[in-house]
Amino acid sequence: MNQPLLKVENLSRHFGSGATPVRAVDDVSFEIARGETLGLVGESGCGKTSLVRTLLKLGPATSGSAVLDGVEITKASGRELHELRRKMQVVFQDPYQSLNPRMRVDRLISEPWALHPGAVPKARWQEETVKLLESVGLRAEHADRYPSEFSGGQRQRLGIARALTLNPTLLVCDEPVSALDVSVQAQVVNLLARLRRERNLAMLFVAHDLAVVRHVADRVMVMYLGKIIETGPKQSIFSAPAHPYTQALMSAVPTPDPRLRGHRKRIVLQGDLPSPANPPSGCRFRTRCWKATSICAEQEPGLTARTAAPGLLTACHHAEAASNAMPASSKG
Amino acid sequence: MALLEVEDLQVSFDTASGRIFALNGVSFSLERGEVLALLGESGSGKSVTASAIMDLVPNPPGAIDRGSIRFDGAELLKLSRNERRDLCGNRIALIFQDALAALNPVYPVGWQIAEMYRIHGRNPEGGVEKAVIDLLTAIGIPDPERRARQYPHEFSGGMRQRIMIAMAVALEPDVIIADEPTTALDVTIQAQVVDLLATIRKRSDAGMIFITHDLGVVAELADRVAVMYAGRIVETANVFELFEDARHPYSVGLLASQPRVDTDEDELVPIPGSAPNPVALPSGCAFRTRCPRAERLCAEVIPPLETVGPGRQAACHFPVLTA
Repeated sequence: MNQPLLKVENLSRHFGSGATPVRAVDDVSFEIARGETLGLVGESGCGKTSLVRTLLKLGPATSGSAVLDGVEITKASGRELHELRRKMQVVFQDPYQSLNPRMRVDRLISEPWALHPGAVPKARWQEETVKLLESVGLRAEHADRYPSEFSGGQRQRLGIARALTLNPTLLVCDEPVSALDVSVQAQVVNLLARLRRERNLAMLFVAHDLAVVRHVADRVMVMYLGKIIETGPKQSIFSAPAHPYTQALMSAVPTPDPRLRGHRKRIVLQGDLPSPANPPSGCRFRTRCWKATSICAEQEPGLTARTAAPGLLTACHHAEAASNAMPASSKG
Repeated sequence: MALLEVEDLQVSFDTASGRIFALNGVSFSLERGEVLALLGESGSGKSVTASAIMDLVPNPPGAIDRGSIRFDGAELLKLSRNERRDLCGNRIALIFQDALAALNPVYPVGWQIAEMYRIHGRNPEGGVEKAVIDLLTAIGIPDPERRARQYPHEFSGGMRQRIMIAMAVALEPDVIIADEPTTALDVTIQAQVVDLLATIRKRSDAGMIFITHDLGVVAELADRVAVMYAGRIVETANVFELFEDARHPYSVGLLASQPRVDTDEDELVPIPGSAPNPVALPSGCAFRTRCPRAERLCAEVIPPLETVGPGRQAACHFPVLTA
């Protein structure tokens, strides 16, 4: 049996103490295998970014564990943490803020090598920099330029090149294409897919854009208010979602096909996200759910297999495959 | 006669790196009851077009160099500042992208909606207060009497966007310009706002200009689409024609690079390169440096927007024709 590359168990991240901390990430468990891409979707405030920051040890975990390649992330410090950072790298959302404007590209790329002596000997920095730039679709002469001389898409390529300098096994991409225009976004999505194949990279791909996730992920995990409410292989999640929230999320994505206008069943959710400091009892989605009954307020549904869809785990008392699960008030 | 007619509009800005031409001769028209989408990526000139219509181009550094904007028979660019202000909000209304920045944080939202009536000297039947409550009810804000007294920060992003929409439609304008009204919102909230806009268009016969980069929202809402690239309109077509049979290579490329949630194809087909620097646009056709069909002619002659079929136009020397 292969060990997963990343194993997260009962991980929580709470902000603030006292009686009602904000439970940004609440008791979350999942795994990522080597070379696998896990898509993480959810709307603003669902805890995606808090989860990512906790995994990258950019903030402490409140409880639970996350083990990367046998090393406990939540407890790592000093030398151990330094080594851990080599293995997990991150591509940030905003390529305008994540690159130091006063550093030339060659320094930006080689900085991790300076911090991790032994990764690449100094004599080979220049050669390796050029190799990396070319592998992300940039050119050797770009090494002498500053970030401000690049377009948004090129900057994101730089961000990716920089994340790959230490040959990580896990690449965390936090909304890597949401700041880019559609025509350029496709370039970066394809680049990530190619790099992943070439380097057998595992990726945690965080995005609010379900269409992008469908193109890059093997498995998908849906978060709502700090909890994973549904997870499974891409095919199951997209063709047979069983959680009402996943169904609403899928149905809300506008399809770029005007012929479908008015023919699609759209579930328009009422109301807004409740406060994560004071989440609803039982199922956290129940206040916006059209299927909610008394059990939903009393008992928190566990993340288990509830439908015939292969590999699909759903945290809902009333889980039902999508086709016959449309609410009465859906738009025809 | 069209409700709104923009012709040969050129807008430029003075910047540290030289004069940039944000609009290079933009022409389009809007009919009553029609939703026209202005579709384009960052820097294509969509928002500048809206600013020019609303008299919001900052001068300096910006200037409208030439062109005409005719609304209901009157030339807007010849009107005085006061006459323009009178029209704006009253007969032409703008929904901004960023509702938090567009709403005043120190006044209750009900007061801000009521301001529309006060400034334009309108007396709605039943009084301003009732009109405000009716509007809040219409956009689906629960408990409108209490909510009208609250401040913008007390509302969620989706609600604030709906309040912006309420302000824009308060005086029943003839033209509604929506500048990326759903861009900053989550998909489920975006669906609420798109729904609200669809309801408004059904109820009134106002013309709507919908500015967006999102092909999905265009497919959902638009009747006609004008595709913009580097300050020009490169193609106009009705929404069905554009999605099934686009003529301009840029439109074709845009459609191919859009990931779709309803298909499982792994490989997207991006457009190579990135949008040109507006300070140094390529000669001839601005898209030629990224275009698979470009030939020598494209570098020499700017292709004019020409009729390529009933009700549709494209600005390309070698338009894509499907057999």
